[in-house]
Amino acid sequence: MTLMPSFRLHRSASVADALAVLAAAPGGRPLGGGTDLLPNLRRGMGEPPALVDLTAVAGLDRLEAGDDGLRLGATVSLARIAEDPRVRDGWPALAQAAASVAGPTHRVAATLAGNLCQETRCVFVNQSDWWRAANGYCLKLNGEVCHVVKKSERCYAVYAGDVAPALMVLGAEVEVQGAGGARLLPLADLYREEGRTHLTLRPGEIVTAIRVPPPAGFVAGYAKVRIRDAVDFPLAGVAVALRREGGRLTGLRAAVTGVASAPVAVAGLDGLKGQPWSETAATVLAEAVRKACNAVKTTLVTPKYRRRVAAASAVRLAGALWDSCATGQPS
Amino acid sequence: MTTLVKPPRIGTPTPLVDGFEKVTGRAKYTADLPAPGALAGRILRSPIPHGIIRGIDTAEAERLPGVVAVVTGADCAVPFGVLPIAQNEYPLARDKVRYRGEPVVAVAAVDEETAARALKLIRLDLEPLPACFESAKARAPGAVLLHDNKPGNVEREVHNEFGDVASGFAAAALVRERRFTFAEVNHAHLEPNATLAEYDPGRGWLTLHSTTQVPYYVHLIVAQCLEMDTARIRVVKPFLGGGFGARTEALGFEVIAALLARKAGGTVRLLLSREETFLTHRGRPQAEITLKLGMTRAGRLTACAAECTQRGGAYAGYGIITILYAGALLHGLYDIPAVKYDGWRVYTNLPPCGAMRGHGTVDMRAAFEALLDEMAGELGLDPFAVRRANLLDAPTTTAMAQKVLSYGLPACLDHVEAASGWKERRGRLPPGRGLGMACSHFVSGTSTPKHWTGEPHAVINLKLDFDGGVTILTGASDIGQGSSTIVTQVVGEVLGCDWSRLRVVSTDSALTPKDNGSYSSRVTFMVGNAAIQAAEELKAILAAAAARRLGVRPEEVECLGESFRAAGGHDPGLSFSEVVKEALIDTGTITVKGTFTCPKEFQGDKAIRGSAIGASMGFSYAAQVVECSVDPVTAKVSVHKVWVASDVGRALNPLAVEGQTQGAVWMGLGQALSEETRWDEGRGLAVNLLDYRVPTMAESPDIEVHIVESIDPNGPFGAKEASEGPLAGCIGALMNAVHDAVGVRAHAVPLTPDRVADLLDAKETES
Repeated sequence: MTLMPSFRLHRSASVADALAVLAAAPGGRPLGGGTDLLPNLRRGMGEPPALVDLTAVAGLDRLEAGDDGLRLGATVSLARIAEDPRVRDGWPALAQAAASVAGPTHRVAATLAGNLCQETRCVFVNQSDWWRAANGYCLKLNGEVCHVVKKSERCYAVYAGDVAPALMVLGAEVEVQGAGGARLLPLADLYREEGRTHLTLRPGEIVTAIRVPPPAGFVAGYAKVRIRDAVDFPLAGVAVALRREGGRLTGLRAAVTGVASAPVAVAGLDGLKGQPWSETAATVLAEAVRKACNAVKTTLVTPKYRRRVAAASAVRLAGALWDSCATGQPS
Repeated sequence: MTTLVKPPRIGTPTPLVDGFEKVTGRAKYTADLPAPGALAGRILRSPIPHGIIRGIDTAEAERLPGVVAVVTGADCAVPFGVLPIAQNEYPLARDKVRYRGEPVVAVAAVDEETAARALKLIRLDLEPLPACFESAKARAPGAVLLHDNKPGNVEREVHNEFGDVASGFAAAALVRERRFTFAEVNHAHLEPNATLAEYDPGRGWLTLHSTTQVPYYVHLIVAQCLEMDTARIRVVKPFLGGGFGARTEALGFEVIAALLARKAGGTVRLLLSREETFLTHRGRPQAEITLKLGMTRAGRLTACAAECTQRGGAYAGYGIITILYAGALLHGLYDIPAVKYDGWRVYTNLPPCGAMRGHGTVDMRAAFEALLDEMAGELGLDPFAVRRANLLDAPTTTAMAQKVLSYGLPACLDHVEAASGWKERRGRLPPGRGLGMACSHFVSGTSTPKHWTGEPHAVINLKLDFDGGVTILTGASDIGQGSSTIVTQVVGEVLGCDWSRLRVVSTDSALTPKDNGSYSSRVTFMVGNAAIQAAEELKAILAAAAARRLGVRPEEVECLGESFRAAGGHDPGLSFSEVVKEALIDTGTITVKGTFTCPKEFQGDKAIRGSAIGASMGFSYAAQVVECSVDPVTAKVSVHKVWVASDVGRALNPLAVEGQTQGAVWMGLGQALSEETRWDEGRGLAVNLLDYRVPTMAESPDIEVHIVESIDPNGPFGAKEASEGPLAGCIGALMNAVHDAVGVRAHAVPLTPDRVADLLDAKETES
């Protein structure tokens, strides 16, 4: 049996209380459903002095949909996002991404903010403490070396959240609160592409909500590649949003997950605006997705496959979305 | 006595007798057993894959308050191993460590936290040695030896040839040779390993509750390693969360728990983590197989030459048996005029492999069925026709002296061919979708026990007392497969009484007769036969008692289930309890015994070396068709449906047979699709259930089970084994279905998306 380390658990009733506790307990961690944090702690990945449970904070579990878009509180569960009819109608890519996370019981417990802020992963990290100690630890935790990319000074642990790329192509923003007040930032700015420091949150800050604008004519989808249809993290995940007017693309956005230390917005797609979806466009998209991948041997499946399948999945998804616009069918 | 009215027992779908406890959560597994004041045990494992132990400093750990006992290799100088001829493993390493994760020190402390802290205070002085992680490197000249008495790191070589193989190939119209690699797999049994060890220092008694399929072997090995009299040891197997072969030998942790309890003079609970359970391993070894077959234009096999190298890990375990099985069950499925087999079991610096469902036979069978499919294709023959061209003519004796008395394979082929719509649908499915088929077989119990004691192979006791209840005392380990239900059904079938009179008490060495254990699918066959004999004896006692009361001869007594009367009479007769009262006069409590011993002629041929392995009194047969598709973008293989027909002799419990068949198919699919242990320089990368990818419900296709009953003359009521035979065929059928779907032949298993993507790439490059 693997023990959980000791910590103080605070169950806050308000954001102010949660922030105060986190400020008073440096190294403390906000806790949502615990589906990511608790297994990691059980495996000795950190010994935070305090966990601040946000699931009792009034209002953080609110899901609001209106003309100005969607606002999702930090503790809204993934199961709710996957099942909510307003989300499914207006932002089906988000519902798809939420439904693709782990297994049904995880999704009931897991929260949106917890999913977005999940820890990066690596086969050399997500092991027991005995395992890591016997391996001399690594850059990500307690160590000096990277076992994936020798002599690397950065950590390549991979970001494997499913929801972030979908929200990114939907143009989502994050509400963050901390001792210094509240701020609103584009979701992409929540991340940096480095395995140890992949979140840009300042100490004591928490994510309180996500805002998603109205679709504005975009259709979007999320394609998750994995070996098992449940439980598995993505080997690669791709979200695509596109807008079609007649025979032309008037907008194309893509984001990938599972192939770098952050969810990455795919760059270099602007040139496709005004073009029809074609084999040429597909080649451009595939190449752009490949460039967005920074996959190395952090998982048991080869980087070569993950890059290749990310690109191919993006092309298939974009094609399906393009076709769905013609038929008027949502993706 | 004749039985006129009997409630249905065998042949009726019957929920498991211990199902109530399981579905209500009342069942107590080893980790759940109440043990107030039990100490927490923990194991310190080797951080390196190979090295000399220069020193172990436990002084600081022993000084830590709350630490009660610390044991090392110095506490046990007696090696263990399931085969008396190959015992080379110590519960705690002595002199050398041979795999990363090998137990070196164990601690018992007042709680888990203290035990964990104690481990961190232990200093290991290990001098690293070069390590071998692949069979080829371990066998290479100059490779460092794991065991000094095993040159070339070869634990066992097997070479045998039956018939004239060279002439067979010369006579063939088509000869093909292919090389296959099957990844190592683990049982991934859901309940992690655990032992509760209670030592009574006053009496010098030791009681173990453990997660085992073989409590009798655990009993013997613990006595051996602790140098204790077996009479002072009691071994109990509580409810068990799966086995699949992982627990068919006494394992180091069980001895470690006993060593700790004795040293602490108290009770120790040793619970292994999932990672430690993976490191204890005993899974199916990685196998490299080179297979060559010869075939006539009509699809008749002329010769087979097979080579198999198994990467066995650091210790012997079952290795010799596994490498023998891979060759032995080349026989007994088809009629092959000439068969040559060469096998090598190799030591490597990895956790020890062992027995796993379909022991030793699975990878070879999958390779065989894949090559058969390829050659059938080349000759333009239907895969079913090729199987039919090579059927055995049962009853028969194979070249390896296996006696095949019942052979339902032809019927199995007919069932799945018709059910899957093979003739109509194959070749007409949409692009990317395909059908594949394969066959397989397995023993119904290995007919030679590992310990030559001269005792029967199975013993059952029945106890009947004043209350009219019949207690079935069996040492057979119910590991979820339903053995307690089978013995209850069998006894009920013979006695004809109410089901509620029958109670099973199992696997407690203080109460139940010894049983060799749940392995090689021996229990239904051997224990079932012993149960019939015991129940017949009890029935005769009841008939005699009823006859006395009725004033007739015993053969004139009619049993109506719960009452007995004189034949042809119309009076209500005697109730069951009246007959019991009569039977107990002058004798008191009645205890009867049934035994079963496998006759010598089914134990192989002494003139044929190695033929004791693969010898059995009955062989199960299976054929199956798999329908799959391959995603053109991700190269992921999805299985849509499996039709499986299994010849189980007779389905004593069709509900359990169906479940076991589906389980075997699905376990095979797991190995075929996604399961593989991954060792990187000896480091286990997939030692958890996230990275070790056992398929989930989401991928589970409909598995349509057809039961074929060939009524084996030796089996209890005609029954044979029902849970191992269909596994291997599923892997071959999937390999063949993938070829039918996308035109690539896989020679490496599992067929994960990255592997299939590479095959599709190679095919595209070729064309």
